[in-house]
Amino acid sequence: MAAPSQGGGNGVSLLQIREVTKRFGGLTAVDAVSFDVFEGTIKAVIGPNGAGKSTLFNTLTGYDRPEAGSVRCDGRELVGRKPRDTVLIGVARTFQNTQLFDELTAAENVMVGCQAHQRRGFAAAMLRLPSSAREDRDARAEAGRLLRLIGIEEWLDTPAFDLPAGIRRLVEMARALATKPRLLLLDEPAAGLSAGETGELVRTLERVRDGGVTVVVVEHDMGLVMEVSDEIVVLDRGRKIAEGPPRMIQKDPAVIAAYLGEDSDDA
Amino acid sequence: MGRTLRALAVLVAAVLVACVPLVVTSPFYLQIYTFAGLNALVVVGLALLFGYAGQISLGHAAFVGIGAYTCAYCTVTLHLPWLVAIVAAGALSGAGGLILALPSLRLKGHYLAMATLGFGQLMSLVFVEAVGVTGGVNGRGGIPFPSLGPVVLRSAASLFWLVWAFVAVAVIVAYNLTSARPGRAMRAVHGSELGAQASGVDIVSVKVRTFVLSALLAGLSGALYAGVVGFVSPSSFTLTTSIGFVAMTVLGGSGSLTGPLAAAVLLTFVQYLDSLIPGLPQAAASKLQTYQQDIYGLAIVLVVVLAPRGLAGAWRRRRKGVGTA
Amino acid sequence: MTELLQFLIAGLKNGAIYSLVALGFTMVYAATGAINFAQGQFFMLGGMLGAAFVGAGLPLPLAALAAVLATALIGAVFELVAVRPIGDGDPLRIIMVTIGGSVLFSQLALHVFGPDTRSLTTFTAGPSLKVLGAAVERQTIWIWCLTALAVAGLALLYRRTMFGRAMRATSLHRDAARLVGINARAMVTASFALAAALGAVAGLAVAPLTQTSFQVGSGVAVKGFAAAILGGLGDPAAAVAGGLVLGILESLTAGYIDPTYKDGVALIILLLVLFVRHQGLFGGSGREKV
Repeated sequence: MAAPSQGGGNGVSLLQIREVTKRFGGLTAVDAVSFDVFEGTIKAVIGPNGAGKSTLFNTLTGYDRPEAGSVRCDGRELVGRKPRDTVLIGVARTFQNTQLFDELTAAENVMVGCQAHQRRGFAAAMLRLPSSAREDRDARAEAGRLLRLIGIEEWLDTPAFDLPAGIRRLVEMARALATKPRLLLLDEPAAGLSAGETGELVRTLERVRDGGVTVVVVEHDMGLVMEVSDEIVVLDRGRKIAEGPPRMIQKDPAVIAAYLGEDSDDA
Repeated sequence: MGRTLRALAVLVAAVLVACVPLVVTSPFYLQIYTFAGLNALVVVGLALLFGYAGQISLGHAAFVGIGAYTCAYCTVTLHLPWLVAIVAAGALSGAGGLILALPSLRLKGHYLAMATLGFGQLMSLVFVEAVGVTGGVNGRGGIPFPSLGPVVLRSAASLFWLVWAFVAVAVIVAYNLTSARPGRAMRAVHGSELGAQASGVDIVSVKVRTFVLSALLAGLSGALYAGVVGFVSPSSFTLTTSIGFVAMTVLGGSGSLTGPLAAAVLLTFVQYLDSLIPGLPQAAASKLQTYQQDIYGLAIVLVVVLAPRGLAGAWRRRRKGVGTA
Repeated sequence: MTELLQFLIAGLKNGAIYSLVALGFTMVYAATGAINFAQGQFFMLGGMLGAAFVGAGLPLPLAALAAVLATALIGAVFELVAVRPIGDGDPLRIIMVTIGGSVLFSQLALHVFGPDTRSLTTFTAGPSLKVLGAAVERQTIWIWCLTALAVAGLALLYRRTMFGRAMRATSLHRDAARLVGINARAMVTASFALAAALGAVAGLAVAPLTQTSFQVGSGVAVKGFAAAILGGLGDPAAAVAGGLVLGILESLTAGYIDPTYKDGVALIILLLVLFVRHQGLFGGSGREKV
């Protein structure tokens, strides 16, 4: 296995998560979690099942409102914002349960993301103005470029409902990238991928990071996590129990204990 | 179908439709075909709303009624020229759509269905009770023929052309929308609201705009109806009417404009089947009338259960293998 | 004062009917997340079948029971044939299919029973009772008793029987319920059957007072739904409360303002609730927002 990647980043904190707490009735899913994500790096969030990883993503992107805490990106507070606003600020995400538009092709799915920042253009489209046609051409080209970047351009014109599960996740990632984010949050991007495809994903993530997008990944695939992350945060039962570079996390007794405590069968 | 082939097919269809009054001279039959156009105009809007954006409206007859009564009031009571009347009809029904859509579309899908149902029933009541404006149960008659400036459209053929010209423009506008960003945004909202939000789509704005457009088209259809028939009454704008529109849209299939259009024409013919089959005995004709609603109900149930993509989906499946959006 | 009391009595009479219909809506909503537009038709079928069975010679109590059971069966069959095949359980598709079903039911009634109105005799003969100076028809007492019985029966079912608890569990969290071995699909069918039975009881109870015909379904459906969301969708107690409140508001409007506006009350309330507070009077969080 290749040596774990060490993206340099520039040491500037892009995302500051402070004391974020989310409760569902009596269950505290996320408990006063704090950490930073530095610009130009890949950070992995790992932990046993039910550790609160996806819930954390929801609080970062406006799908769930935390009971306490703050999340700042680029100096702007994300807590309390609607999901679409977080996208416009530059935070994009994928979902554990992939949310593609089944009736659209892969390219069209990505095109929706490409046009996230565009002004409405309803009237321009109705009248078939040249500006509308040009924007669509640009979006189509950009969509093709992104799908090529991820290595799945063969699925360009396939309707989303026909795509295999692993490819669906990659299309969703392309769509998220299409919104030109500063920060990309990926929820289990490797689920359903073969070993070869996972290797491809590692290289894609590195290309994404080197292209200037900071990445946070929730993952169960430890091989991927160790290989691609610059830093890892470990959650267990809603709390952060460790944070640091992969080699350090590998040997952390608290982390080992948390994982041994669960009967996991993940790759 | 390749793009050029499809464009050619559309052109041929348009020419055929335009030639209908040249072949069919009976004003009686022409009026039925004109009614088909009036229904098609409403259904184009509903195709966008339901077939693309996935929103249910059970009260669209209300917007048709608003357009019809506005046109009637403008021409008969205010003596305004017909062009002003039809613009007013569109504006008022569009505004009605906006007022209904803004609060309802913040909420989940079934709330819109109920809000439109309630709105439709409420307007039915208003049409009956606001006797001063609407003429109450007896309706309002004496609506003049449509006139474009000094030209009055009296003949069955000219009315046919007028209505179908509106349909043509509506189809073009709808097609422009669906083949560009708004169409993708509508289908995104339908496919996954979560995913749409995550992709920067303003969900509420997409739904509201689509709804207002569909209300506007319905209102225009109503105004045209008033001009074609010369008389409007509340019985033309009931829940049954709304469900009929829904049946046409569902039968036509989602993600398509031609499907619902064809379904609208088809179901209009079914509506007037007793008139269209010459020599049909009166007993059989009235029997047929009672089964009209059954067809609507059956169409909806069968399509939703068996073929959610409707006629359009069945057509697409035949050509499976060549993937075109 | 007597006048007010009279209006309240009328309001509670209609309100009880609305409560039953609203309960039916709530039950199906809780089980599927969808609105069953055919609910009003179950109301219609109750009255029509009851009248038909009486016409066929059955004594009234037997005819009523048969009508309720038959309608419940129809409800279950409808779910099996039209709702269950919708594999993904998409609430929007379920709503569409119930719209189609609603049309088919009323058409079926038209073809089988004809267009004429039908009526039932009151359950017990006799003059109206006098309560605090106001007149209460005997049938009204029947309506209240039957409604109370239905509500109590439902409450018992929910709290005391395994079946009822299974239904509640399924409505709260379908996947979790399935994990515990509850047959979620059967629960959905059962909810339709129960909703149909409730609607039928309402239709039977009020048929002696207002005539019934194949057309009465959609009007009642809208009112029942208005009642359901007025109280708050998904909660049976709220449905009952909503029904009673709606009935009283209607009656007061008819009495003190204008009878012609009576039918508009439900519609205005429907729109007001949706626009101002969609959870209704007693509903919970605003989870339904997009």
